[in-house]
Amino acid sequence: MDLMESIRQNFIDEDRWKYLFDGLMTTLLITLFAVLIGLALGFLVAIIRSTHLKTGKLTILDFFCKIYLAVIRGTPVVVQLLITYFVIFGSVDISKVLVAILAFGINSGAYVAEIVRGGIMSIDNGQFEAGRSLGLNYRQTMQRIIMPQALKTVLPALANEAIVLLKETSVAGYIAIADLTKGGDIIRSQTFSPFLPLISVALIYLVIVLFLTHMTGKLERRLAANDRR
Amino acid sequence: MKKITLLLLITVLCAVALTACGSKKENTVHSIDDLKGKKIGVQIGTTGDTLAGDIENAVVEKYNKYADAVQALKQGKIDAVIVDSDTANVFVNKNKDVTLLSEGFADEEYAIAMHLDNQDLQMEINGALAELKSDGTLKKIKDFYDGDKSEDSDMKPYTKNENADRSKGTLVMATNSEFPPYEYVEGGKIVGFDVDMMNAVCDKLGYELKIEDMQFDSIIAAIQSGKADVGVAGMSVTADRERNVRFSDSYTVTHLVVMVRK
Repeated sequence: MDLMESIRQNFIDEDRWKYLFDGLMTTLLITLFAVLIGLALGFLVAIIRSTHLKTGKLTILDFFCKIYLAVIRGTPVVVQLLITYFVIFGSVDISKVLVAILAFGINSGAYVAEIVRGGIMSIDNGQFEAGRSLGLNYRQTMQRIIMPQALKTVLPALANEAIVLLKETSVAGYIAIADLTKGGDIIRSQTFSPFLPLISVALIYLVIVLFLTHMTGKLERRLAANDRR
Repeated sequence: MKKITLLLLITVLCAVALTACGSKKENTVHSIDDLKGKKIGVQIGTTGDTLAGDIENAVVEKYNKYADAVQALKQGKIDAVIVDSDTANVFVNKNKDVTLLSEGFADEEYAIAMHLDNQDLQMEINGALAELKSDGTLKKIKDFYDGDKSEDSDMKPYTKNENADRSKGTLVMATNSEFPPYEYVEGGKIVGFDVDMMNAVCDKLGYELKIEDMQFDSIIAAIQSGKADVGVAGMSVTADRERNVRFSDSYTVTHLVVMVRK
């Protein structure tokens, strides 16, 4: 079979390109909201953890956070996804995309938390002490002095985490979500030709990741430029 | 201390909210016509997948394996599962809360798939299948896997002939071990009707059988790319598949059925 014929069969016949397009939309939707949940959760956990490390308060919350980090980072995301779908929401009729958003969001939150905590802890303690001696309380010091500096340090790492998450969502097919990877699989199961569906799925991921990497690079340069006064 | 109490309260509330939703969903599918507009679970790449795609307004959920589709059916996430009759019976026997509709779909024939160019292998396998059919071996294997294996002690699976000639080398069989009674995992080994039948075929032809377990929708690709010599996975002969692989004579006849909640 020549290439044109193969392209026609895999993408044009029966509007098969729609599997890829719809799949891409689902993948982007899951990634976007999972990233948002991950950021919210991650910042919360990071603030609790760093507050505990700096002040020794919030012992119990810190304990729960530690369990959360250990469990989420210690188990594969596919298993977490299946548990969320078949166990936690076992008897609930819930949108699968929502299940995926929650599972990937909670997963990402653990990694974001460690990245952000690393950022907060990397700021010299002198900054913190300076803030306190100027009469700012703990919260004000964190908000106005520590966090702005920490954020700048961790932004590139956070962008990277988003990129990793985008690729991780490819296991969503396990709970029969028609995401981009599954879209390619569906075409493959109908046309029996592995080459084009797989290569095009890979290319689509690659283009998105390259775009995001490019934007991250730009962001990093902008942040660096700000340093050279 | 306030914060901790609040946190505990929220956790408990969430847990209660989740379990409170645990009511069973009523079955709404009583005939094949009822499938219109329903959520139908299938295994990706199977004939059930193709068939469900033609049902009006139906949402087809393509799972990687039947077991997951049945699980989702039991939990009320989907309304029905379209699955091959023999496999459906195994699932129904193991799960008390699912049942089958009495009406089914048209008959389908299972056959062994191989590369389009491999006419010689097709001739060999057809010869061996004909022998196994005429000497009753195939029937015996079928009876064993259809029967209740726990009670009948006189029924045994096919035992590989250890002294058989293996001079022709290895025959790689691609299968998907999620399809009882044709192929499934028991005691860490892939067993089932297809496995026993292929062992019998290899004993006759002088091959050493090697089983490669993979996703069902990858089997045809594995044959086309030469990673497997034959695909034996309860695979129905369809016009689409025949354009991509060569099929042997059929070795069994089944049909698709609809599984629903009780």
